[in-house]
Amino acid sequence: MSLTRRQLLCGAAAGAATTFTPMAARAEQTVAPAGVLGLLYDATVCIGCQACVSACVDANSKPQDMSLAEARSSERGLTIQARSTVKLYIAPDASERSFVKLQCMHCVDPACVASCMFGALHKDPRTGIVRWDASRCVGCRYCEIACAFHVPRFEWQAFNPRIVKCELCGPRLAEGREPACTSVCPTHAVVFGQRESLLTTAHQRIAAHPGQYSEDRVYGEHDAGGTQAIYLAHIAYNRLGLPQLGTESISAKYLKWQKRIYAYLAAPAAAYVLLVGVLGKRLRTHQLHEEEEEATGLKPQL
Amino acid sequence: MMLAAARKCEESAVSIEAATTNRQWQRSVPLFRVPLLTRPFAVLCGLGALACVLALYREAVGLGPASGMNDNYAWGVWKTFNIMVLTGLGSGSFAIGIAVWIFGQRQLHAVMRTAVLSSFLTYASGLALLGVDVGRPWNFYSILMPWRWNAHSPMLEIAFCMPLYTAVPLLIENLPAALEALSKRLPRFAFAFDAIEAVIRRIFPFVLALGFLLPAMHQSSLGALMLLAGPQVHPLWQIPLLPLLYVGAAGFMGFAFVTFILLVAHLVWERPLDREVLRSMCRISTGIVAVWLALRALDLLLRGSLPLAFTATAPALLFWIETTLLIAAAIAAYSAARQSNPRRAFLASMLACVGGMLYRFDPTTLVYQPGLGASYFPSLIEIVITVGFVAAAIAAFCVVVKLTAILPASLETWFEAERAEQHRQLHRQLRLVQSSIEYVAEA
Repeated sequence: MSLTRRQLLCGAAAGAATTFTPMAARAEQTVAPAGVLGLLYDATVCIGCQACVSACVDANSKPQDMSLAEARSSERGLTIQARSTVKLYIAPDASERSFVKLQCMHCVDPACVASCMFGALHKDPRTGIVRWDASRCVGCRYCEIACAFHVPRFEWQAFNPRIVKCELCGPRLAEGREPACTSVCPTHAVVFGQRESLLTTAHQRIAAHPGQYSEDRVYGEHDAGGTQAIYLAHIAYNRLGLPQLGTESISAKYLKWQKRIYAYLAAPAAAYVLLVGVLGKRLRTHQLHEEEEEATGLKPQL
Repeated sequence: MMLAAARKCEESAVSIEAATTNRQWQRSVPLFRVPLLTRPFAVLCGLGALACVLALYREAVGLGPASGMNDNYAWGVWKTFNIMVLTGLGSGSFAIGIAVWIFGQRQLHAVMRTAVLSSFLTYASGLALLGVDVGRPWNFYSILMPWRWNAHSPMLEIAFCMPLYTAVPLLIENLPAALEALSKRLPRFAFAFDAIEAVIRRIFPFVLALGFLLPAMHQSSLGALMLLAGPQVHPLWQIPLLPLLYVGAAGFMGFAFVTFILLVAHLVWERPLDREVLRSMCRISTGIVAVWLALRALDLLLRGSLPLAFTATAPALLFWIETTLLIAAAIAAYSAARQSNPRRAFLASMLACVGGMLYRFDPTTLVYQPGLGASYFPSLIEIVITVGFVAAAIAAFCVVVKLTAILPASLETWFEAERAEQHRQLHRQLRLVQSSIEYVAEA
């Protein structure tokens, strides 16, 4: 008896000890599979004309859902009508300004997909596009909590609400056309293509104009484990609403231990067997005490 | 040497005697000579009914118009309070159960029925509200299709374990009390109820093991939910130990809440108190709270986040409110255990409940910062529904303790209750005879 309890305690202590070991020591890198699709947005070229947003609304919502003026507002965030938005950032002292196009980042290892219990949000294995499946979504909105970019939108007014976000214009891709936003951009500030070639383009631009781009790096190459929508800008990325998240994906960084503890459900199964063993013994001793209780003439209470 | 041993023996004999004579909680006894329908009970039922009507309204108009939730704060009080916070309070069956059945604290067996009933009702009411909260509950059938499961999602773990825990171990642990009451009311079928209880006794180790494993898993997953929110949760809360701290909080909250219920029952229904049992509950809570506080401080220290607690920010203030409440709870519980003082035990249980509730609420809402300009405050409808579901659980508790043997009492009380019940039945029969005589006379 005492042995099993000691084992139980030792197990708990070992578990606690392993949790304390520094996590940064073993960063898990996620690698984007070859051929996945993405967007490259270059804030230095964007003129803020909002044509991409209008095209996005046209392609994904009914036209009457949103007025043109509303669609072209540079203050509005993502909504269920506009899965893409172009915002204007002006520094408090007006020393620097930049437009920034925001939409789903199509992360290489997305937190929303990790959070989704029935895989309603899932990554297309070939294109890497994060898509939403109406038949599996329960509407728990965990994806909205998990997404560090605040992208998924929920239809708060609807009876059978959907999760709405950029899916890189799946139907248009199926027809062999490019996404609505990139098809209309007059300055090619946002371009569509395979992630590797977009990264090459971005690095060529940085090499051609050293010092022009913030930190001389591409946002999304490694950020949050890598994203398929990648960015170039002349001012610090975190001011444009692109947070500094480190190079590990959110789920690799924060759910590391959770994943290990629940691997193949081995630990819970072992704990269950151990518990049943201990409790079987405990209940036998309990029954001995119950006999004393019976001596009072009353039925023992469980 | 021999003398010392003898004295020690004598002392222990004296203390055993004192313990046995002081025992007030020997058996669970129904409340008797208390009316079933009282005014507060009617108010509670009214609130519950109002909440149900408003829940129908929410189904009709959608989540947005009925609640204060938005795309930045996608979770409102239904999840963050009724589930995250209240199931922590409803962990008595888990926490006290482990003390009784694993660590052999037999004296606490007297409060197990109170614990399992409070757990069942908090979980059931929380889960019912979860059905109102999610947008597409009709898609939940996927839980029966393992190929659809995303095993890494803490949400899946909760969606699977919480209903299973409520429907299997908690329900079965609550059955003996119900069977006991049924066989008293329907003596003709007593053999069937006894047979069911015999089955329960046989499978009890398997049920109990599930009843400890499942809450350990889903209570930790409630913490793990917030792990995926990553840097949006303030670093004083966002630590890898978060899941473990959530289970730990469930541990002391379970103890504190059952203590609280028993003391309220003592105050409201004049139930006797067993100072010995209270004392050991306070003693164990002191330990859990102390270890919990130490773990949290240690992790924050090792991770270098502790300096953040010494900044003049709202999260730092919240951190100190939580910590102060829990340190005070530990001190009060310690002194309650030392002096066997029920008043202080009451204070300690309230402090631990509130401190734990705040700790479990903060990461989901108050220190969850999804960006500038985001704000959330529950709408009136949302608050009424939250309160109504809690009221319904309290109302159910009030009925069940009057109909079945839940609250602990002494053997004398048990016999007194039996006598009261016999009197009541005698009265009823007399009245029946009387009225039939009158009827015959009139005819």
